[in-house]
Amino acid sequence: MKASHYERMRRIILISMILVPFIPFFIILSIGYFAFTSSLESSTLATMRRIVSDHRQMIAGFLGERRADLTFIAETHAFEYLRQPDNLHFVFKNLQRQSGAFVDIGIFDESGLHLAYQGPFLLAGKRYDQEEWFKEVMKTGYYISDIFMGFRNAPHFIIAVVRREQDRQWIIRATIDPYTFSDIVRQVRVGKTGEAYIVSAGGLFQTERRSGGGLMRKDPDYLRYGPPHEGIRTYVRADAAGETYVYATTWLKDGKWMLVVRQEKADAFAALRSAGYRIFLIMVVGGCAIIAAAFYMTGWIIRRMKRVDTEKDRLEEQLIRAHRLAELGEMSAGFAHEINNPLQIVRSEQALIEMNLSDLKLPEDGPEMKEIRDSLNQIKLQLNRCAGITQAILKFGRKTDAKAEDVDLRKFLPEVVAMVAKKAEVHGIDLTHRIDGATAPVKGDSGQLQQVMLNLLNNAMDAILAAHGPQGGILKVEAGPWRDDRVEIRVIDNGCGISPENQARIFSPFFTTKPVGQGTGLGLSICYGIIGNMGGVMEIKSKEGDGATAIVRLPASRAARAA
Amino acid sequence: MEKMKMMLVDDEERFLSTTEKLLSKKGFSVVTAQSGADALEMLERSLIHVVILDVKMPGMDGIETLREIKRRHPLTEVIMLTGHATVESAVDGLKSGASDYLMKPADLDDVVAKAEEAFDRRRRLEEKIRLAQSKRFMKSPREILKGAEGEA
Repeated sequence: MKASHYERMRRIILISMILVPFIPFFIILSIGYFAFTSSLESSTLATMRRIVSDHRQMIAGFLGERRADLTFIAETHAFEYLRQPDNLHFVFKNLQRQSGAFVDIGIFDESGLHLAYQGPFLLAGKRYDQEEWFKEVMKTGYYISDIFMGFRNAPHFIIAVVRREQDRQWIIRATIDPYTFSDIVRQVRVGKTGEAYIVSAGGLFQTERRSGGGLMRKDPDYLRYGPPHEGIRTYVRADAAGETYVYATTWLKDGKWMLVVRQEKADAFAALRSAGYRIFLIMVVGGCAIIAAAFYMTGWIIRRMKRVDTEKDRLEEQLIRAHRLAELGEMSAGFAHEINNPLQIVRSEQALIEMNLSDLKLPEDGPEMKEIRDSLNQIKLQLNRCAGITQAILKFGRKTDAKAEDVDLRKFLPEVVAMVAKKAEVHGIDLTHRIDGATAPVKGDSGQLQQVMLNLLNNAMDAILAAHGPQGGILKVEAGPWRDDRVEIRVIDNGCGISPENQARIFSPFFTTKPVGQGTGLGLSICYGIIGNMGGVMEIKSKEGDGATAIVRLPASRAARAA
Repeated sequence: MEKMKMMLVDDEERFLSTTEKLLSKKGFSVVTAQSGADALEMLERSLIHVVILDVKMPGMDGIETLREIKRRHPLTEVIMLTGHATVESAVDGLKSGASDYLMKPADLDDVVAKAEEAFDRRRRLEEKIRLAQSKRFMKSPREILKGAEGEA
């Protein structure tokens, strides 16, 4: 019952001691983690966005420059001049010095006839009036194509511009090496897996993708990018292979190309993962610390509780015992009082018998007469014994207003010791006393205190005689301050000691170990009552066969303490 | 010489009768009363020198009876017989005018000794009173004479 109570207590304290710090700890870590995560995510996405934006600028710049190159040629050279292959060759060499991305150059008339060509293929004389790009360039004045195979059957893309004069229009067209262009786009590197590439509106790779995807191949992820949109979009999505990527996309060239920058999510958020690991580690270590502290504290609290409970039980027991002693005292006093009246009558009757017997004037020397006399004497003796007992009981049970005076133990105790010095000497007991000079006076009735001390000393001497006979006895009386406001008196003997079961009953009235007729068993009960009335406590400590120590603790007199 | 007259007051009938017999055999004149009221009534009717009074009685208790006796018959000596071995009840009695106390169970010889002691005291007291009265009686004619001279 008691043990399970502590076990339940221990569980409750333990759980609350773990949960109470752990919940805020957990919340703080979680908030920190999520704040960190979102800030890291937004900064990662912002980085991607910036890269896309820079890259778009760069690509637009590249294409714009190439177009400007062609426009410059068209504006500064006459049609007749350029259609001469030697002149075109000269111009082309200049152009290639501007940018190595140019593969070839060609001049077309407004009917789509390829008039002059400078480059690695034989394309002069071909007609292009049905080609998509030609129609487009005639309409809008310039054109940048997607990558296509064309007559040469190799991936390339073209830039064409129209020169419009009063009487005619002609076209200058250049091919851009897609691999050179591809390299420009591909040079973006973000983290380990970051890459950039361009996909046409039709879903074909316009530049090579580092993680796989050749020119003009179908982008397996194309459908995942969503419809064309303004500005830059960022999102996280799994690709066709199941890998999750962080994407940033933007559309170029009036919605014909889409620039994609993407990075594997695990790579992009690597810092996040390491932060997560660290937080997890903190959680584990902190949690362990909390649990260890909780276990330690709980153990400590439970130990304290047990100690306090034990102390409480002991005090309760003491209180109950004192109460029972008081009740017993009152009861036995009433009992003794009632017994005295019949005793008085018996005594009178006995006296009357004796008197009548004398009046009869019978011969006193007959054996019957002797026996009768003997019986009468015995009755008288036993009556006296009864009277002695009842008087002792009444003394024990009475409630007296004892005189309250300051008793100076430094003078008082040696006096009491002197009273029994003779008896001690006779029995060969070494009787000594040692009174601390700082012993404060106590408040009480010196007569009663003397009774207590004499009782204790006599008990001790009886115990010594029982153990040692007429020599080798040691009896010490000590006194000194105890815990600030109390005085302790110790009577220490090396007598026969008290068995544990007797110790439990030592203050009970009528409890005695002495032979019948030699003690009423009230001495220590009376002492206990007297000390209790003085506001003190009394206890006896003993090991059987190893002497006993009677300890009396009394409150120091308040007047003396104030002084 | 005047003979001592005692009265025993106790609620125990048997104690009264036995003690009365004992004391009579010893040659004392004894009356008994079973309660304080009886005792007071008897005191009105006859002269009693010493009262031996139990402290604890039903009805009017010993101390009360003692006070009443002392109020009505101040010269009557009272010895308290107490069942309490305590000094307090005895002190109470002595303060209220008892001349002595005895503890129960008391020996008859003790009772007799204390009673005689009390009786002696009473006799001495009466003697003093008588002496004082006679002195005054002897003094007065002279005083009368003095008074007459002064007037003359």
